Amino acid sequence: MKNHSGRPKTVIFFIFLIGFLIGCPFFLPTYWTFIFGEILIMALFAMSFNLLLGYSGLLSFGQAGFFGVGAYVVALLILKGWQSLTLIMLAGTISAALAAAVIGYLCVRRDEIYFAMITLGFGMMLFTIAHNWIELTGGSDGLPLAVIPALKLPGFELSLFDPRIMYLFILFVVLAGIFFLWRLVRSPFGLILTAARENKERLAFVGADVRLVRLTAFTIAGGLAGLSGALFCLFNSMATPGFMHWSYSARPILMTILGGSGVFLGPAFGAVVFFLLEQVITNVTDNWMIFLGAILIPVVIFFPQGILGTLVKHFDR
Amino acid sequence: MESLVTNLLNGLSWGMLLFLISVGLTTVFGVLGILNFAHGSFFMLGAYLCMQVMHVVPSFWLGILIGPLAVALLGIVIEKFLLRRVYDRDVSFQLLLTFAILLVLDDAVRIIWGAGYHVVDAPKILAGTIPLFSHSYPVYRIFLIIIGPLIGIALWSFFHFTRWGRIIRAAAVDREMAEGIGIRVPLLFTAVFAFGSWLAALGGALAAPHQSVAPSMGESIIIESFIVVVIGGMGSFPGAFVGALLLGLLESFGTVFAGRAQMALPYILLALVLLIRPRGFFGREA
Amino acid sequence: MTDVPILKIEHLGHSYGKFQVIDDISLAIPPGELTALIGPNGAGKTTFYNVVSGRFPPRRGKVFFAGREITGKPAHKIVSLGLLRSFQITNIFPELSVRENVLIPLLLQQRRGYTFLRPLKKEKDLYRKADDVLSKIGILDAADQPAGELAYGDKRLVEMAIVLARRPKLVLLDEPTAGMNPEETERMIRLIKELAERFGTTFFLTEHDMKVVFSIAKRIFVLYQGGLLATGTPEEIRANPQVREAYLGGGTIQC
Repeated sequence: MKNHSGRPKTVIFFIFLIGFLIGCPFFLPTYWTFIFGEILIMALFAMSFNLLLGYSGLLSFGQAGFFGVGAYVVALLILKGWQSLTLIMLAGTISAALAAAVIGYLCVRRDEIYFAMITLGFGMMLFTIAHNWIELTGGSDGLPLAVIPALKLPGFELSLFDPRIMYLFILFVVLAGIFFLWRLVRSPFGLILTAARENKERLAFVGADVRLVRLTAFTIAGGLAGLSGALFCLFNSMATPGFMHWSYSARPILMTILGGSGVFLGPAFGAVVFFLLEQVITNVTDNWMIFLGAILIPVVIFFPQGILGTLVKHFDR
Repeated sequence: MESLVTNLLNGLSWGMLLFLISVGLTTVFGVLGILNFAHGSFFMLGAYLCMQVMHVVPSFWLGILIGPLAVALLGIVIEKFLLRRVYDRDVSFQLLLTFAILLVLDDAVRIIWGAGYHVVDAPKILAGTIPLFSHSYPVYRIFLIIIGPLIGIALWSFFHFTRWGRIIRAAAVDREMAEGIGIRVPLLFTAVFAFGSWLAALGGALAAPHQSVAPSMGESIIIESFIVVVIGGMGSFPGAFVGALLLGLLESFGTVFAGRAQMALPYILLALVLLIRPRGFFGREA
Repeated sequence: MTDVPILKIEHLGHSYGKFQVIDDISLAIPPGELTALIGPNGAGKTTFYNVVSGRFPPRRGKVFFAGREITGKPAHKIVSLGLLRSFQITNIFPELSVRENVLIPLLLQQRRGYTFLRPLKKEKDLYRKADDVLSKIGILDAADQPAGELAYGDKRLVEMAIVLARRPKLVLLDEPTAGMNPEETERMIRLIKELAERFGTTFFLTEHDMKVVFSIAKRIFVLYQGGLLATGTPEEIRANPQVREAYLGGGTIQC
């Protein structure tokens, strides 16, 4: 993966982008705040997924399961009366990471094709639990939240009731998550991950426990998926089993492929494109999976690097 | 006692259907090296098309004949125009492509036939029940229990005793070698994929009187068949049989002693197999 | 000098189904001795290497490395003990730069593979070590190039660099000069001899090019149809009638 961060043009672009994102709730109608909020959460979700696909070479069909774990843990803790938003978010993220560690332990024992099947299976297992364990999860109705605890900062409290504050909170958390991923992929572990994707046999023969490497990546990706789920629960004031269905797992996959798994921000870009497509298509028809599938087919065959990936390649020449 | 027998028969009949689906999935994987995510959609299409035929001509046998054949044709088109383009690509892209096909087919079913469920009646000969102890048991399920192994034996004989069966197995083991001795591998691949689709659709058509025909059929069966082939061993025929029966019986008896937790049982089985014998009962060394 | 052999094999055997690939092989290599394994195609050399390096466990027998039993241990554990191997078909990380290829074993050796909050660039001491290895092998100028874009012979050198970065005690070289032209072969021979002398690394290589074998090895093992046919110094092997028979049906071994 090429490193573009040195280019001054790119840096300036990002400064403007972040500035725009911070300022937009104040000069755009509230409607846009909601849209951007959702896109941001999905962008984090997709980028966590790409840690597995683009960086580790692992295609997981079950990330929605961990997304859901994050959402449900947050909902349950709020319903139990927990007041510290920070702790609640942390608990959601860690629970998702733990679930990913346990399930990941089983999944990394086998390679790509099996990995895809098994992650799909266990993702759906989590969905089934959420859907059927009515006493705990509210079943197919989910867990609606009447109130959300305020964010307690030193000195004052911020209520997330105001959509603009909620949005800024989401923006902050998502940026933090993306920054974490950025540091991760440029760290020694990031190099080992890429090596595992490129030639896992060679990696084993220079001394890496490839299974452990993959498990670590899977756990981190699961934790970040859970963080996105936690945010989504707060954003929607509810957790529902639909978040954990494999069709929901398809979202980060589609976003990543559309945007490009070979570029760091590809999935985030893909999230924007996906969202736009979703708006356009659902205005026309209820059946939008067919359109997504129909779009995905030529993308996979003709533009495997995704939109951003193809653009980047083009400009690199 | 009778509930034991009922559960046993239920498990076996469901297991046989699972076997039909799984053996197609595992054969396509064994020969083409592709895991077809849309395999469950073929199953579903088989059921829907059979039902559709029956709306025109109320004959189950005709439905079972035409439905799977139509799906096999669809399989040929998909293999020739879509799958073939990604054979030499990364495995992830092959998976993504079949996944995209799944999205299209599943929603297409919803569009054409609506989101509700439909009921298909078993043909007169197989309709009704027979007395079993002090209860009555559906004849159709007994039919499934009988026809499952029959088809299984027919398939197994095909692969082991006929010339084409052996050629397919040879191509599965060594594609280049097969090409080297003059086998037209691309044609073979199309044929095998069509065959796998046909099997899935046949399973779907056979399943139609057994359960309601609904747009969620595809997704639930694909997960179960994934579990079957992982625990049985990818590419293994006996593995698909053993795995399918095991899963069928587990699910059937599971409702008895596990109640709602029954839904988690297949996954627990999957987890156990992955821990103890990752390559599956009959799988080859990873 | 310790007299514990760096590698000791006891009654090693492996089969694929009914086919016995290697059968009852026992040998010992003293540390520092340049050793070669030769044999006609299909004799079982690659399987032997695969078993010793931990790719899969043998069906029978034991492998001892510097006195410790390593039979059936996974490859990465064997590597951390100091036994590395190169591959016959170049096995590197093609899209990573040459330097990154070498950084990876170094990171793993220093147990810094799981550091994930510090940028890679901060590992300056490892960068220095990597460049050191690259210059010793002679490919420092290509350090920033993607390894997959190098010429074949240079790729083999990258393979060597990856293997040697961790200063292994024992290196199994699977046909190191395969596909190389005479000049590149010469370079490789010199490199191996130099490294053996400077660092005391034991090289155990397998080769088809007899010239390479006879110019490097002090001791040769001959593998034939899965069993050890003969062992000895190059002169002894050259003169051995059984070896001649096995290889060339009675002719002389060209060298």
